[in-house]
Amino acid sequence: MDGSIEIETLTLEREGTRIFDGLSLRIGERRVGVVGRNGSGKSTLLRAVAGLIAPQAGRLRVAGVDVARDRAGALSAVGILFQNPDHQIIFPTVIEELAFGLEQQGHPRGVARERARAMLARFGHADWEERLCHTLSQGQRQLVCLMAVLAMEPRWILFDEPFNSLDIPAALRIEARIAALAQNVMLITHDPARVAGYDRVIWIEAGRVAADGPPDAVLPAYVAAMQAAAQDEPC
Amino acid sequence: MLSLALPGTSWAHRLPVGLKFGALAAAMLGLTWLTAPLPLAAALAATAGLYLSLGRRAVAEGARALRPVLWIVAFIAAWQVWEGVPMLGLVLGLRICTMVALANFVTLVTPLPDLIALIERLARPLARFGLSPRLPALAIALVLRFIPVLRGRMELLALSWRARSRRRPGPRLIAPLALSLLDDSDHLADALRARGGLAPRPATPPQGRD
Ligand SMILES: Nc1ncnc2c1ncn2[C@@H]1O[C@H](COP(=O)(O)OP(=O)(O)OP(=O)(O)O)[C@@H](O)[C@H]1O
Ligand SMILES: [Mg+2]
Repeated sequence: MDGSIEIETLTLEREGTRIFDGLSLRIGERRVGVVGRNGSGKSTLLRAVAGLIAPQAGRLRVAGVDVARDRAGALSAVGILFQNPDHQIIFPTVIEELAFGLEQQGHPRGVARERARAMLARFGHADWEERLCHTLSQGQRQLVCLMAVLAMEPRWILFDEPFNSLDIPAALRIEARIAALAQNVMLITHDPARVAGYDRVIWIEAGRVAADGPPDAVLPAYVAAMQAAAQDEPC
Repeated sequence: MLSLALPGTSWAHRLPVGLKFGALAAAMLGLTWLTAPLPLAAALAATAGLYLSLGRRAVAEGARALRPVLWIVAFIAAWQVWEGVPMLGLVLGLRICTMVALANFVTLVTPLPDLIALIERLARPLARFGLSPRLPALAIALVLRFIPVLRGRMELLALSWRARSRRRPGPRLIAPLALSLLDDSDHLADALRARGGLAPRPATPPQGRD
């Protein structure tokens, strides 16, 4: 089965504002970066691909699943990491947070716990099992979110600015972890260097694709445009 | 996020969740029945004993969770003394404190998923009317889960207020509090939806690939 993200003439409005108007994209690469200015629509795109917001018109499928309608199917097609881990964590303890998604996928409770434990062990954090999520650091909480998503084994994992508010070692660690993932990855960032080694970079500007292709083709133009914008708009 | 939970594997954690809540319900009934201060004081002491059996952290958590109630109790007791019925104030105060402390205790030592499973079991008859038992289960669990979040949010707003003002915040924080809670509930809805939301769970879990 083809595991691509297929977006066809997508129209998406939020509270009356049109954010995408006839956007079409077909994404099948293993590593895909999304860049663009604040408010250009990157997070909205990611949320739509995760099936969290339904488009007004057009088609959006991930690995053949209509993610906005078929929520059960969407769980094994796509997982998302929000920009802020606190917006993602629902349960008080780490093990509950990891097991919840597995239960939602239909695994019995015992199996869900067992798998959650295995995931913690895989990342060398078996001792976090009974930790309260809110007593972990920002980087650690982000790792909890990543483990919770990985445990559900989706084909795609979407990251919304995963490097923000992390110190340099934590950011490098999460970058290495993302690089090691077997899954397809779509990642939003403001730092072009983070996606320089990716297979494809999509530059979004005001809800449209400004440039799309290999990083060598897209990133230099993007950086130049951002520098020009900085000179045009004094603070 | 903050939460009313005490991770661990103590004797109280290991008790079946049905038993815990059954006992809690019975104790609540029993407490409304007692009207003399002495037996009520004994019940409160027994409750304190429960906390003590779990160690220092449990006592600290319990005290922290009980603090907001103490203010209300002190107010009611003062009112009863003013009305000339101090004994009534004492009985009421003891009863409320014991009830809240017991309820907190059960909440502290019950992992949220256990509670969800219990409510799901109790709500199973609803399936006959086409309602998923998962719905009330998640709803109640999330309400419980977010009571402490609410308190934490209020404290944060008050801090941020004090950082920029010399006056105390008072009721003017209510509007921003409501807005920030709406924002929180949006995030929660997204987080829930990202993991399947309240959709009926698939009968067969997906097959692992790797
Ligand atoms: N819930 C919402 N209601 C109304 N408008 C929204 C909502 N969320 C986003 N928008 C609008 O949609 C546009 C795109 O927002 P989006 O969050 O997708 O941008 P972004 O590219 O992720 O920006 P940033 O880099 O700042 O995260 C913005 O103009 C924003 O104001
Ligand atoms: Mg964004």
